[in-house]
Amino acid sequence: MSVRLMVGTGKGGFWVTSDDRRAWKVAGPFFKGWKVTAGLRLSDGRFMAAVASDIYGPAVHVSADGEKWEQLSSGPAYAGGGERRLREIWTLRENRGVIYAGVQDAGLFTSSDGGASWEPVSALNEHASREAWMPGAGGLCCHALLFDDTNPERMWCGISAVGVFRTDDGGATWTPRNQGVPAALEDKRHKGIGTCVHGLAQDPDEPDRIFRQDHLGMFRSGDGAESWERNEEGLEVVFGFPIVIDRASKYLFAVPLEADQYRVPLGGALQVYRSTDAGDSWHSASAGLPAADAYGTVLRGAMAVDNLDPGGVYFGTTSGTLHATADLGESWTNIPAILPRILHVSAWVG
Amino acid sequence: MGAVTVTLPSLLDPATGGVREMAASGETLREVFADLLAREPRLKPHLFNEDGELRRHVLCFHNGTNTRWLDGWDEAVAEGDTVLFMQAVSGG
Repeated sequence: MSVRLMVGTGKGGFWVTSDDRRAWKVAGPFFKGWKVTAGLRLSDGRFMAAVASDIYGPAVHVSADGEKWEQLSSGPAYAGGGERRLREIWTLRENRGVIYAGVQDAGLFTSSDGGASWEPVSALNEHASREAWMPGAGGLCCHALLFDDTNPERMWCGISAVGVFRTDDGGATWTPRNQGVPAALEDKRHKGIGTCVHGLAQDPDEPDRIFRQDHLGMFRSGDGAESWERNEEGLEVVFGFPIVIDRASKYLFAVPLEADQYRVPLGGALQVYRSTDAGDSWHSASAGLPAADAYGTVLRGAMAVDNLDPGGVYFGTTSGTLHATADLGESWTNIPAILPRILHVSAWVG
Repeated sequence: MGAVTVTLPSLLDPATGGVREMAASGETLREVFADLLAREPRLKPHLFNEDGELRRHVLCFHNGTNTRWLDGWDEAVAEGDTVLFMQAVSGG
C-alpha cells in the first residue's frame, strides 16, 4: 500500500512517497519560498494546503493531483478595523462536509462550499475571555481540532497559551475545558484559560477520551475534557508538542523534549515515547532514531499516522530530518533527506 | 483612464499562476490597485493587510518612486506608467 506524506517546511512543501514504507522518494519543493503550514486531503479527493509568508501573508491552495495548485480566490480572513491579523493557518480539518481552518492570530473559520467562501466562528473568535488571550512562544494560534463522530454538535479546539475549548451546540457557544491542567499564565478575571495545550489526540472509538500534550505535562481526559489528569508514568521529561494515536492499535506516540527554555531532545537523543495502554505508562520506542547529537525539535504539526495496520508513524524535525516507522515504533527509518525546518507532516494512503 | 503595467515578484507565482506582469487601469493609484485586485483577487491578502494598507514588508513603486513617500494613493497615473511590487529584503 503506497503512502504519501505532505511535508510542510519553512521554505516549501515536499511530497515524500513510498510503495512499501521502507524506500522513500522525495519530490519538491512546491510553493518554493513559502511556509507550508497545514495540509488536508478533502473527502472529494483533492489536496488542500495552507501556506504563509512573513512578507505576503497566508493563503489556501487546492490541487486535484498534488502537482498543479490553485490558490482559493478567497481564504479565511479577519475583518479590518482591529488589531487582529491572520498570520498563518495552523490546521485544516474536514468534518461532515465542513472545512475548518484554525489560525493565528487565534481563531477558527469554516467553509461549507469546499473552500470557496469562509466564515468566522464568531462565538469562539470573539469569546468573552479573548481580551486575556496571550501569545506564547509559538504565537497565539488555534492549532488542534477534534470532532465527535457520535454527536455533530460537539467539537473541541486547542489554542496555545489559552487552552482547550468545547462546544456542545454546533459552535454557537464555547466553554474552556481545562480543569486539572495547571495554568501557564493565569488571568485575574478569566478563569479556566491560560493553560497551554500543545497537541491533542482522540480515541477513534471513544470521542470523549482525549490525550493532551501540554506545555506543563502530559494529560488525558475520559469525560470529553470536563476534567484532566496527568498520565506521565515512564516519561523522563514531560514537555513536548505533538501527540498522535494509531487507529487500529490505539497506541499513542509523543516526542518529549527538555522543558521549556531548551525545547530539544534530552541529552541529544531523539526519542519517541509510546504508550500501549491508553496513557497509563510510556516507554521509549526509538530504535533506529539518532541516539546522540540530535537537537532538532519536533513541532506540534510535524507528526502524523497513516492508520494502516500495522500503523505507520511519521515525524519531521526543525533540523529538517524526517523519520518513519511502519511497525508502530518497533523500528525507525531515517528518510534520506535534509529539508528546511519541518512545520507540518500529513500522511495519506494511496 | 491610464493603462498601467503592474510588475509582480516571483514569490507571488502561486497566487497568479506565474503571471508576473499585468495591466491595470485607473486615474489614480488607488483606482489602479482596485482594478488590479478586481482582475486578480488572489493578490489581495498578499499585498494588502486587513485594513487595506500595504503589508508591512511589501514595497510598491510608481514610476520608480516608493509609494510610501507619497502623500497617499490619490497620486494621478498616466497611460504607460509602471507599478512595481516587491518585498523589502534587508539584512543577512
